[in-house]
Amino acid sequence: MTTPVWLHLERPTAACEVREGCITCGDVAVELVVVHIDGVDAHCRDDEGRAEIVATELVGQVEVGDHLLVHAGVALERLEVAS
Amino acid sequence: MTALRFADEYRNPDLAQAVGTKIAELCEPGRDYKFMEVCGGHTHTIYRYGVQDHLPDNVELVHGPGCPVCVIPMGRVDDGIALAEQEVESPNGGTSKVILTCFGDMMRVPGGNGSFLDANARGADIRMVYSPLDALRIARQNPDRQVVFYAIGFETTAPSTALTVLRAKAEGIRNFSVFCNHVTIIPAIKAILDSPDLRLDAFIGPGHVSTVIGCRPYDFIARQHRKPLVCSGFEPLDMLQSIYMIMQQLSEGRSEVENQYGRVVPWDGNPTALKVLSDVFSLRPYFEWRGLGSIASSALQLSERYADFDAERRFSVPGVRVADPKACQCGEVLKGVLRPWECKVFGTACTPETPIGTCMVSSEGACAAYYNYGRYAKQRIHLEV
Repeated sequence: MTTPVWLHLERPTAACEVREGCITCGDVAVELVVVHIDGVDAHCRDDEGRAEIVATELVGQVEVGDHLLVHAGVALERLEVAS
Repeated sequence: MTALRFADEYRNPDLAQAVGTKIAELCEPGRDYKFMEVCGGHTHTIYRYGVQDHLPDNVELVHGPGCPVCVIPMGRVDDGIALAEQEVESPNGGTSKVILTCFGDMMRVPGGNGSFLDANARGADIRMVYSPLDALRIARQNPDRQVVFYAIGFETTAPSTALTVLRAKAEGIRNFSVFCNHVTIIPAIKAILDSPDLRLDAFIGPGHVSTVIGCRPYDFIARQHRKPLVCSGFEPLDMLQSIYMIMQQLSEGRSEVENQYGRVVPWDGNPTALKVLSDVFSLRPYFEWRGLGSIASSALQLSERYADFDAERRFSVPGVRVADPKACQCGEVLKGVLRPWECKVFGTACTPETPIGTCMVSSEGACAAYYNYGRYAKQRIHLEV
């Protein structure tokens, strides 16, 4: 296996402002941490401090500090934190 | 399930090199391997991190139909525009235009009558939302307007639409409805397997779709078609490990469904989400997929119980069918028959700024991913060869 030539090149410049695209369109789910609970909604933050309100009906009761896998504003799974 | 602790752990170049070497050791001399990554998120990872460059030359990754935006046919875009441009009866009397809401990438998908952005320039009110719950909030804030959510996506996204419909019904919000284009991944994989012009050795299974549906629905691929499938995470090392697991199966003559993404994907999926999906949606008899044609039982519509929230029943939708532009070869790219740069208009007439085909719109589309991360490399390689 030879090293591809383009590994030695700089990354191409962004073709457009939406280079990273819409994460919801992209089926991307993100990990968020619960910081406050408001009924069936959880106020969450990601590791860069961005806030989001997340619907939790699909994962059952959540608690502050829980890690959730979130897509399109809805928690799809509860994650355990690696020690 | 264990949360990913540090992303860097999954992007370690030395480890990637080591896994690549192990994959190469399992390759039979003289044999070519073709693996399809079903999910557009994996396509994005492959190009963004150069996953293919850690693989031996005889292992090729083929891009599948798992980009939600890419499989929407042009006619459904035109249907959305027709919805947004018509005057409808307002909830409080009189008439007004619909507020159409959709996810970000959908705004730029070209239909036969332009894109949603073009429709806005003509006076339509089409708004970008991150979640269908945002669309429901817009409906609450605009009680005198009809608000329609243009729903797209696979089983990852369909639960959020279903949950939104449940909340709308519980709150008695009457000016909210859904134009449903949700599709399901299994029929698409079946269509790929039945395609006569594509030979595949194995599948890299979609990670986040599997969070909802679990791993069992893929059993037929291993049992009937004798092909391995490994559900994979989205970091570069996740993908390389999945490919290694596939290679192990092939070298041992096994064909099984395995789960590399165990820290997120439960084997049985999310039973609550599946129950909500079966309550709110029913299967459409047929649905048109871009590039794959009409596939039976491959898409969702609102079930009878929630028919009041179905925009196709509430409003007049023309049901437009538009042939793809002749120059566009998205169909072949979606089936993995053509690689993005082999399309006639790739990077020339068709770019992310002025896309002709859907694969160039979403960052998960194979063409956009390749255009953003690898196109100069191809030119350079051509020059040096």
